[in-house]
Amino acid sequence: MSSHREAPEISKDPVADNTDVYAFVSPRRPDTVTLIANFIPLQKPDGGPNFYEFGDDVLYEIHVSNRGDARADVTYQFRFTTKVLHADTFLYNTGPLTSIDDPNWNRPQFYSVTRVARGKAPQRLATNLACPPVNVGTRSTPHYGAVFTPAAVHPIQGSRTVFAGQRGDAFYVDLGSVFDLGALRPFQNLHLIPLPSAAGVNGLQGLNVHTIAIQVPISDVSRNGDLPSDPMKASSVIGVWATASRQKALMWEDAQGRYTGHGPFGQVSRLGNPLFNEVITPMADKDRWNTVFPQNDAQFAKYVAHPELARLLPVLYPGVFPHLAAYKKDRADLLAILLTGIPAGVVPGFQNYTGPTQADLLRLNLAVRPTAHPNPIGLIAGDPAGFPNGRRLVDNVVAIELRAVAGATIPLVDHSFTPDAAAALLQDGTTNTNLAVLPTFPYMPNPAGGFQSKPGTPAA
Amino acid sequence: MSETSRRRFIGVTGAGAAAVSATALVPGSAFASQTHRRSDSATSPVVAYVSDVDSDEVTLMVDEREVVVHDRDLVHRLLNAARG
Repeated sequence: MSSHREAPEISKDPVADNTDVYAFVSPRRPDTVTLIANFIPLQKPDGGPNFYEFGDDVLYEIHVSNRGDARADVTYQFRFTTKVLHADTFLYNTGPLTSIDDPNWNRPQFYSVTRVARGKAPQRLATNLACPPVNVGTRSTPHYGAVFTPAAVHPIQGSRTVFAGQRGDAFYVDLGSVFDLGALRPFQNLHLIPLPSAAGVNGLQGLNVHTIAIQVPISDVSRNGDLPSDPMKASSVIGVWATASRQKALMWEDAQGRYTGHGPFGQVSRLGNPLFNEVITPMADKDRWNTVFPQNDAQFAKYVAHPELARLLPVLYPGVFPHLAAYKKDRADLLAILLTGIPAGVVPGFQNYTGPTQADLLRLNLAVRPTAHPNPIGLIAGDPAGFPNGRRLVDNVVAIELRAVAGATIPLVDHSFTPDAAAALLQDGTTNTNLAVLPTFPYMPNPAGGFQSKPGTPAA
Repeated sequence: MSETSRRRFIGVTGAGAAAVSATALVPGSAFASQTHRRSDSATSPVVAYVSDVDSDEVTLMVDEREVVVHDRDLVHRLLNAARG
């Protein structure tokens, strides 16, 4: 979760595994939008001697659709190159690293950024940008947050800013319980296999990911190249998703001891709304879903209209969701939230409708200003700057989507339905025990250090 | 298939066969041909892929492109060569 190891094939290819996507109007620079795509899930901070890094053979992309047809109108492409500076050592670093270009760093990684506007030639925005090293530990990468994070924030042409490198995961969820027959620890006394209720356990606590973040002027992605100010205009809404692609043919080169890629890039991972492929798509379709372009998502709408999780909740929690169990209509609320955006007239003063094309996009109304006091429950708690209007790092998408699937959002489109009392309370019981989100770009927390962090406590 | 694309396709296939020979010795007769490389032929390694042995389709992957060629004769020659 939200898309960590969410499909069988991509779970075997973590370097290309897109774990989370965020899109929000930047809190301190509201004339810009920040797009974040995370990859390489569940990194143990001490995972050396070959620490985590982006794939030189992976094409990473963040896409924006602004014309309502779920096709990419603007794409930012990221390609990586890794160097080995010292051929005679196994060490990641041969001494303390005191700067991002410290020669003691044996395996620096660099990247290029290219912008592709629909129908136009690709525009190379920057090359040879430095990634930071991973957070090895107190001796190797001292004062990580002060030294490496700011050094890896690169202003590039067009008043854009980029960052690519290791970060602490900002997502929090009770992995151990959710995947143990859908148990939510605070309510597990009501589970089909009951246990005493308990607080949730953040399964991502202390784990890192690799982040690609780009902050661009809103005019760089808006339909009309302007700064939208009217939330009710269709041109104020964009759809965002990220992908990772690999060349179609990989040949094992014995002499080099590595694979070489041949042919065009094929999409192996994608992510728009959190948890879509995770809990909406059946396992048999998950791998194929990762290869499909969003404009072709209508084929998956049946899974949204009658989500498996909505059928499971009344079974797993007997007697708790009688109204949900009795509801047999298509879930028009989820179809809107996940596949078309919320049309005008549903939530007063708000819409993020992108038209009738059903597509899994993270839809963001650019005319909604950021708030200084975000509510992690987002739009359904009265905060229109939060999920499912884009997604901020603070948004508790697990609770929001649990409540939506449980029926809390049905009355938005079907006034005859009364949600079960539990629907508005659902949560996995976790609190955000990750490292702190940063107040400025790239916002993602500094990565947990290998030396400083302690492994979890095993139990059987 | 035009003669131009046929020649190009056969020329590219020759490069693919060279890659194959690293793991399987292919009798020269399997690729006996009087073709010559054109000046604009591929200069990077090529992977040839026949996904359906009953079809006439070969997919050639080179650099970051793929070229789909329809030539039953070439498919048969590749299949024969693949027997070693």
